[in-house]
Order: sequence, then structure tokens, then C-alpha cells
Amino acid sequence: MLLAAAALTKTYRLGRVDVPALRGVDLTVQRGEFIAITGPSGSGKSTLMHILGCLDTPTSGSYRIDGEDVGTLRGKDLARVRNRKVGFVFQTFNLMPRLTVEENVALPLKYRGGMARPERRKRALALLERLGLSDRVGHRPDELSGGQRQRVAIARALVGEPAILMADEPTGNLDSKAGANVLDTFDELHRMGHTIILVTHDPNVAARAERIVHISDGVVV
Amino acid sequence: MRPGEALELASDAWREIRAHPMRSLLTLSGIVFGAASLVSMASLATGLREMAYADLRAIGFPRSYALRDFGPRSDAVTATERRHTGLRIADLEALRAVRGVASVHGRAFAGEQLVVGPRDRRSVPVEGADAGYLELRNLRIVSGRTITPVDVMHVARVAVIGEEMRRDLFGTTDPIGRRIRIDGVGFTVVGVVAPMPIGFIPADFSWVARRIYIPYTFVSRYRLGEGRVSQIIVTAREDAEFASVMQAGSALVRQRHGGVEDFNLRNEAADLLSDYAMADGILGGWNGVMFAIAGVTLVVGGIGLFSVLLISVRERVREIGIRKALGASDGDIMQLFLAESLTLAVIGSVAGVGGGVALIMITKLIGASFGKDFVIPLSVPGIGFAIAFALGVGIVFGWYPARKAAKLDPIQAMGGV
Ligand SMILES: Nc1ncnc2c1ncn2[C@@H]1O[C@H](COP(=O)(O)OP(=O)(O)OP(=O)(O)O)[C@@H](O)[C@H]1O
Ligand SMILES: [Mg+2]
Repeated sequence: MLLAAAALTKTYRLGRVDVPALRGVDLTVQRGEFIAITGPSGSGKSTLMHILGCLDTPTSGSYRIDGEDVGTLRGKDLARVRNRKVGFVFQTFNLMPRLTVEENVALPLKYRGGMARPERRKRALALLERLGLSDRVGHRPDELSGGQRQRVAIARALVGEPAILMADEPTGNLDSKAGANVLDTFDELHRMGHTIILVTHDPNVAARAERIVHISDGVVV
Repeated sequence: MRPGEALELASDAWREIRAHPMRSLLTLSGIVFGAASLVSMASLATGLREMAYADLRAIGFPRSYALRDFGPRSDAVTATERRHTGLRIADLEALRAVRGVASVHGRAFAGEQLVVGPRDRRSVPVEGADAGYLELRNLRIVSGRTITPVDVMHVARVAVIGEEMRRDLFGTTDPIGRRIRIDGVGFTVVGVVAPMPIGFIPADFSWVARRIYIPYTFVSRYRLGEGRVSQIIVTAREDAEFASVMQAGSALVRQRHGGVEDFNLRNEAADLLSDYAMADGILGGWNGVMFAIAGVTLVVGGIGLFSVLLISVRERVREIGIRKALGASDGDIMQLFLAESLTLAVIGSVAGVGGGVALIMITKLIGASFGKDFVIPLSVPGIGFAIAFALGVGIVFGWYPARKAAKLDPIQAMGGV
């Protein structure tokens, strides 16, 4: 089992009011699976993804990646898991505007420590080649189309060879053609053996996954 | 951290700095001024000290001490006490034989005497001296000659007059070879003497210009009588021998006087050293004040750096969130901002040091245009201190913004995603 979450809860505090975003989520993911998480707006999809991607910590419950209890990790250890185990793709791409495509893709390797610049560069270029972006390596993000930007973001998520690729509404900011293109990329990565978790509220997108996890009001239904 | 990593951090920081040239320049200016003032202050302080020391040396009593006549003791009881009534030329001659002695000079004070010149008459302090003594005190012969050993030996009636006396007694006519009367006795003026110019030491040596010097043998013979002298100045050949020369000299004279304390000893070299120490103390205090002012400038520069970094952090919140999401630790983010702060500090302090050096050059040029040679050695410790202090300011004032950045929550920083 690659990923095992049990009884995950997340409660936000807004002033004096507790807002329960997750109310006991159990989820297991096998290596090589392609899972779609769907659910209505505000159901807690993003909250769950952030916890699974170690960008946030659960209020309670246990969470393991590769057998390591990561739900309780903090600080440096959490940073290490983010860097090595998870590749995250955001709805709004979140590329660094002042860096070139190649520098953006190589950025996670910088936080791995001890990898020399030429090596980081080599890996970034190899990945960009695989994703068909070789002719864009020297460009800045604002010189690319939305679809291209998201593929750069995918390359950046994959460059550290993470155990899981996670994407929160990766097509949410794309037109249908670019969106289809990005989804094709996910399909292909899945075929190559990558483990993928994707959040979407679009049933057509979810349909491309092997398994659909439906969330409503903070619980899996 | 490997040098490669440090270099990469610095180059990333440089990129960030260049992305906001105006803002960075404004930040830098504070550090530049601070470092520049530190360097120029430190150098100026060293220069002032050197110049002050040069002045002290110019006053000059190198390796010399004085035996000062006490005259007959008023409470003299024994026959020995009554027999020994102060310093004599014979003591002076005996001192020449002491090992390590370089020279011995006599001084004999005649006090205020009525001096009559062709233009005017004045009551003037008349002092018996010799060439060596005038030289020892760095008195400058501005025209004519000094009192020679031959004058001393022959008790010659020659006078070296102070510059102001020349004006008073002779007006505009050349006094050399002219005659004056001192207390009724005719003297030939052979030289005019002036005090050394004193630069930074607030001491008035102008009395030199209002005095008249004649051979001490004359004052001794005709004014004090019995071969008496007012002071005997002894100089040692070597610094190392000075103490022993002083010891042996005073022991010799005391022995010659049957143990009677009819003179005392004044260590002029030690007095000079204490002057040095005092000057050092004054300059040290000055240095402190100047350093503090320069330091405050740098700290103000640091506050500028602080606010600019805070702006930079606020502007880059999203970027910080992304970096953290990609696996940057709090430490990585801190490094990012400390590198920016330090890079600014390095650029600022180096530019400031350059500015400080330029300032010194300009000061020297201005000095030269007034005909003054300003000795301002570049203070290497000052430069080191300026750079170190600027780096310290960079770290101290960069710390809080960097920490603030490092503690950001990635999701919130990215705007909730
Ligand atoms: N930082 C936060 N502070 C307070 N409440 C929050 C915060 N983030 C999310 N929530 C709340 O938690 C619940 C789940 O939000 P979440 O973003 O996970 O929903 P979602 O399923 O991703 O919705 P969408 O489809 O609109 O993106 C919502 O009620 C939301 O208002
Ligand atoms: Mg969401």
C-alpha cells in the first residue's frame, strides 16, 4: 500500500466557530493507481488533497506514505516529504514568474540538497523533452499558453520522481482543448506507471480515472 | 554549505536585487553612507593621532631629564648642608663622564631684565642656554646663528632673540650683528629664534618668541654667581640606557653634594609619555564618538534594509508558498532572504568603503591646496570593521523579515490555492 489515510479530520477555526472541513476520511491508494476525487464545492476535496500532499496537517487521524507516518511530521521532515514523495499540480499553475521554464522545473531539486546545478538542469530538460516542451525551456511562464504552463507545472511536479502525483483541479483554469491535452498527459503518465490522484468536480474528467472517490460534506460517500 | 551553494544563493539574491533597481539603490544608500563614514572616520582618527604624535615629537625632549636647582636650603643646619647650595657648572662637567650620557646642557635663568634696543626698551625674560638645548627644544633659528659651544666657553656676549623681540627692539631693520643692552651690558645679536609651528596640540609655545637667549655661562658668572646653574639637562644615548643614565646621574650629583637634596629630578621623557597617553586618551574618546556616529548611520541604513526586506517578503508571499510546497524548508526560505540582505550589505559596504577612500583622497587634496600635508593613512581595521559591521547589520536586520517569510504557511501563502 502506497498511501493509507485513516479517520482524517480537519477543523478550521474561524474566530470562535469551528468549521469541520474533513470529518473522518479513510482512503488507501495502491501503487500505480489513478484516482479521481470528486464532490460538490466546499465538500473538502482541496482540504483532503493538501493533507495528502503534506501541504497541511490533519487535526486528527493517521496518514502514512510508504509506511512512514507522515501525519505527525512537522517542519524540516514535512519539507522533505513534500520534496521527495509528492508532486503537486495546482489549478492556478503556481509557476515562478521570474524564472524560466527550465529553472521552474528544476526548482524542487534545489531543495533536495547536494545536487549540482548541471545535474538539475539535465533532469529538468529531459522531463521537458518528454512532455514536448523542449522548444520552450528558456521562456518565462507569461510567454506560454495555459495548457503549456500546466504541462510545465506537471514537469516540475515529476522532476523529483515522487511516489505520487497529485493535482487539484488541474484543468480548472484551462479551455477544453488545453484541458484535454493536460488530461492526455495524465493518462500517459498513468500508463507509464505513475500513481496519480486528481481532484475534479467535472464528471467527464473523473471518468478517466480507474477509481472515483466521492466526497460530500467532509466524508467519503 | 558548499561554496557552490553559497554562490548560487548570492546570484539568486543578485537577480532579485536587480529586479527592483530603484528600491535596492535606496536601501543601499544607507549602508553605503554608514560604511563610508566609518572608514573615513577611522582613517581620519588614525591620521589625527599620527599628526598629534608628530607634533609631540616636534616639541621634543627625547631621552632627556632635568636636574633642577633648589638653591640653599632654608633649614640648613649642618656644615655640609650649608656648604652645598645648589647645582654648579662643575656638576654639569662631572655628568659628562657618566656612562651612556649623550650630552649635558646648562640652563641659567636671569629672570626679567631690562633690554634696550635701537627702537625700544623692554623688560624681557633672559635665559642662559646653549646650542644643544635650543636644538633639543626644537627652537628654530630663523636668521643668523645659534649660541655655539665657543660662545659658551668664552662667556661671549652674544644673544639669540625671539622673533617678537626683534620686532619690538628693531622694527623692520635686520638685527643680526646689531647691539642691544641687557641690564646695562652690551650684547651682539647673532640670531633670531622662533617656536616650531604646532599643529594639533593646543599648547602655546609663543613665549619662545618673547625671550632672549644668551650663553648660560654668562648668566652663571654675572647673575647667579659661584658657577651656579638653574638646570642641568642630561640626554641619554640609547632609550634602553635612559633609566640607568638618570639613576647614575642623580646619584653622582647627590654624592658630590654630600647627600644634600639641593636639587630635584624631572623626567621630561616620562612627562612627554604622559602627554602621549593623555593625547591618546583624548583621541580615543574622539574615536569612540566618531565611531558611534558612523555606527548610528549604519544602523539607520540597517533599518532601511529592514523595511525594504519586509516589503520584499510581502511581495513574494506567493513565491514563498510555492517554494515551500515544492519542499523548501524554513531554513531554505530564511537563507533566501538573508542572502538578499547580506548581498545588499556586501555591495553597500564595499561601495561605502570605496566612497570613504575617495573622501579621504578629497580631504588630502583639499589639505594640499592649503599647503597642508594631511597624513591620513587608510585605516585597515576601519575598513574591516566597516564591512564586518555592515554584514552584522545585514544579518541582524535581515533576520526578522527572513524569519517572517520562513514561517509562512504554504497554502495560505499561495492564496488558499
Ligand atoms: N483556510 C480555511 N479557513 C477556514 N475554512 C476553510 C479554509 N479552507 C477551507 N475552508 C472550509 O473548509 C471547507 C472545505 O473547503 P475545500 O476548499 O476543501 O472545498 P473544496 O471541496 O475544495 O471546494 P471547491 O470545489 O470549491 O474547491 C469549506 O467549507 C471551506 O469554507
Ligand atoms: Mg478546491
